[in-house]
Amino acid sequence: MTSILLITLKGIFRDRVFQGIMVMALLFLFIPTIGSLSMRQVTELSITLSLSLISFILLLLAVFLGGTSLWKDIEKRYTFSVLGLPLSRTSYILGRFMGNALFLCLTALFLGVITLLVILWAKGLYPPSRPVRWDNMMIAVLFDTLKYLLLVSVAFFFSSVSTSFFLPIFGTISVYLVGNASQEVYDYLHSGSQAVKVLPGMVVKAASLLYYLIPNLAAFDYKLQAVYGLDIAGRGMALTVLYWVIYTTIMLALTAVIYERREMK
Amino acid sequence: MKPFAFTLILILAYLAVIIPFADYQRTRPVVEKMGYVPTPQVLKFVSADHKGVTAAALILKSMMYFGAIVEPQFNTLKVPPDYQSMYGTLAAAVKLDPYNMDAYYFAQSFLVWDVHEVKAANAMLEYGMKYRKWDFMLPLFAGFNSAYFLKDYSKAAQYYKRAGELSGAELFVNLAGRYLWQSGRTEQAIAYLTMMEKGAGNEAVRRSFRIRLQAFREVRRLEEARDRFRAAEGRAPKSLEELIRWGALTPIPRDPYGGRFYLEPDGQVATTSKFTHALGAARKP
Amino acid sequence: MKVIDIQGLKKSFTGKRMQRVEALKGIDLQVGRGEVFGFLGPNGAGKSTTIKSLMGLIRPTAGTVRLNGIDVHDPASRRSVGYLPENPAFYEYLSAQEYLTFVGRAFGMVPQRVKERGEQSLRRLDLWEARSRPIRGYSKGMVQRLGVAQALLHDPDIYIMDEPMSGLDPLGRALVKEIIRELRGEGKCVFFSTHITADVEAVCDRVGVIVNGALRMVERVDRIMAEGITGYLLRSRSPAGEREQIVTVDHLSDLLSRLKEEGQTVTLVEPVRKNLEQFFLDIVKGG
Ligand SMILES: Nc1ncnc2c1ncn2[C@@H]1O[C@H](COP(=O)(O)OP(=O)(O)OP(=O)(O)O)[C@@H](O)[C@H]1O
Ligand SMILES: [Mg+2]
Repeated sequence: MTSILLITLKGIFRDRVFQGIMVMALLFLFIPTIGSLSMRQVTELSITLSLSLISFILLLLAVFLGGTSLWKDIEKRYTFSVLGLPLSRTSYILGRFMGNALFLCLTALFLGVITLLVILWAKGLYPPSRPVRWDNMMIAVLFDTLKYLLLVSVAFFFSSVSTSFFLPIFGTISVYLVGNASQEVYDYLHSGSQAVKVLPGMVVKAASLLYYLIPNLAAFDYKLQAVYGLDIAGRGMALTVLYWVIYTTIMLALTAVIYERREMK
Repeated sequence: MKPFAFTLILILAYLAVIIPFADYQRTRPVVEKMGYVPTPQVLKFVSADHKGVTAAALILKSMMYFGAIVEPQFNTLKVPPDYQSMYGTLAAAVKLDPYNMDAYYFAQSFLVWDVHEVKAANAMLEYGMKYRKWDFMLPLFAGFNSAYFLKDYSKAAQYYKRAGELSGAELFVNLAGRYLWQSGRTEQAIAYLTMMEKGAGNEAVRRSFRIRLQAFREVRRLEEARDRFRAAEGRAPKSLEELIRWGALTPIPRDPYGGRFYLEPDGQVATTSKFTHALGAARKP
Repeated sequence: MKVIDIQGLKKSFTGKRMQRVEALKGIDLQVGRGEVFGFLGPNGAGKSTTIKSLMGLIRPTAGTVRLNGIDVHDPASRRSVGYLPENPAFYEYLSAQEYLTFVGRAFGMVPQRVKERGEQSLRRLDLWEARSRPIRGYSKGMVQRLGVAQALLHDPDIYIMDEPMSGLDPLGRALVKEIIRELRGEGKCVFFSTHITADVEAVCDRVGVIVNGALRMVERVDRIMAEGITGYLLRSRSPAGEREQIVTVDHLSDLLSRLKEEGQTVTLVEPVRKNLEQFFLDIVKGG
């Protein structure tokens, strides 16, 4: 597994993905300028932009690295040489996942440090009305990272059942969108509002089922708390981490089970 | 050499088109640019976990639109600002990010003065207070709106009290007390506008506050002259012209909105512009 | 115990629109230590399918496949196997040396040994100069050589190679054949597929011919060679001059005694055999 992990990381770095991230990270330089367009919350806007930029970069990585990682090996016929080694497919999957995960974590760390510098800078330019909560910022970045690791596992799951990259890429993007909205849809459906009552019961049931199936990504969003320095409930964080561990493990286990039975033809 | 010639022709064609194209885009009417804003539900879905950025983008969009419109306003006003869609945009923004102060601040800056939608403004502020629990600005705005526009002093007192508690500043505590209706409306407006003008980060918004402040300072000058007249003559002046002839007003007051000041039958100072560019410009000879 | 043990192996593929292709129709085959086995068959006969089954890359529809006595769905069955896939592809962003390091690690070799064996096999396959260039820039033959090198790396007992000579220049072919002969000398088991009968003739102990998913024949190469003698070429000299003639096996002794009576001296007797290619063509066409 470590051997696969290492070559996965090597592959990502050799593909100059990190250089691409550095170029995107140049956008951070513009953040204080854009932030100063705000009337009353320059620092807040800078934090919003920074965290969203991190989130966006991690999303791209999760979708494109996670979605093509397994597919590429099959497409380029690497699977024959790699799976002919005495490695179990499960350890291959886990190695691949860990490689992607490690890269995502490194990126998050790198961008997180840049964000801290940018916010310090913006804060110096326009002192904020409320103190910046650095702990919340770190929590926001950490949970964003967890969220995208989960998304990588979803992309892996899609890769294990598909022979092309369409399903992994577009499936993962859909899960990302729906997963961010599922909580609100669920809340709305259970708000007892008049508009909901006219919906057929089947629709409500199906939506509720989907709510439990699709990963609840909104739970990982602590950006507002970081931007406005709101308090974060420890219990909520603990439950979210637990949820993450279990959901990601299930996704990887399913991926491994399906991949074990898959034919390399 | 053929592909080379072809590329060259394409480049020339591009150059030929890009200049009129850019020209058109520059002069494209601003109203078109405000454009259509999808419903908050749609925005929420597509912005996924970037709701904060989307909200900020919406606010910036309406601020830039406003900025673009306010500048030409100093001369003539061809297009009345589309306040309705500005309000819609800001309302969508706070649905996405209920904490965003810019939205409340900006909405407050035009909703009450220009659109006279004081109730809508206060509803929005109430919504914001549920989230920005620490912020004294929102109750302060609401208090001002209640007192100045709605003349609901008990409600205003509640808001001011809250603002006082949150900020710990004496001023609001005083406002919440008797002082509130003892101080004249104009005085209140000037105090409020001074604060707003100071806090405005955006140039267009600050300028609009500055103009309004200027107008109210003129009103105050008029009121002071009127009161001096009454004290000296023992009766109210019949018209502004009488006041001017009496010699209490130099220089002659000028409405920055382009309107003309006059005295209401009950002695109140008013202006034909009603403190809006639209009317001021329309009445201009 | 035979190190390669295939019993009743069947494989059918279900393609698009539910078309079933019966690629293997029940293969039984055992290969032992110290044996070089050539797997011959026309295109689409099922050679690669058999080999992929051996490597656990595809699941048999029926039958069992074991390597070193371990069922191939267990990765441990590949512990002592060097595998060269058909038209191999290796992580192209790595260099040959890095790739070998990866393979060595996967086989649980200690770094020192990876280094030694890696150098040995790279030098042997004439890739030493190119060792630190990314595989992306390798020619087809160089990739094929790397494939052989990585199969040799951990000094396994079993070598399973799908067309090891394809894409190689004459020097490379000769080299691979030489390597296979050496491996036999070391008591290893080599199983390789090919289209080229001459290669089988040159290095194999046994050959299997697969046609349309069924094994038509498995035989020792020396026996085929012996059975394949169709007659003899005889050269004799008499005062009248030199003379050559071909006789069938049955008539050889008759002819020899007759020539002796005629006072001729026999200068050369050479068996005339049907070569393996002829043999192979007969089998394929005979089906
Ligand atoms: N993935 C697949 N799906 C459907 N049919 C397949 C698949 N792989 C192989 N086949 C079929 O199985 C049969 C055997 O193929 P195989 O690749 O084993 O042939 P081969 O002997 O290796 O041929 P070659 O000498 O051309 O390499 C062929 O008829 C082929 O069409
Ligand atoms: Mg083949």
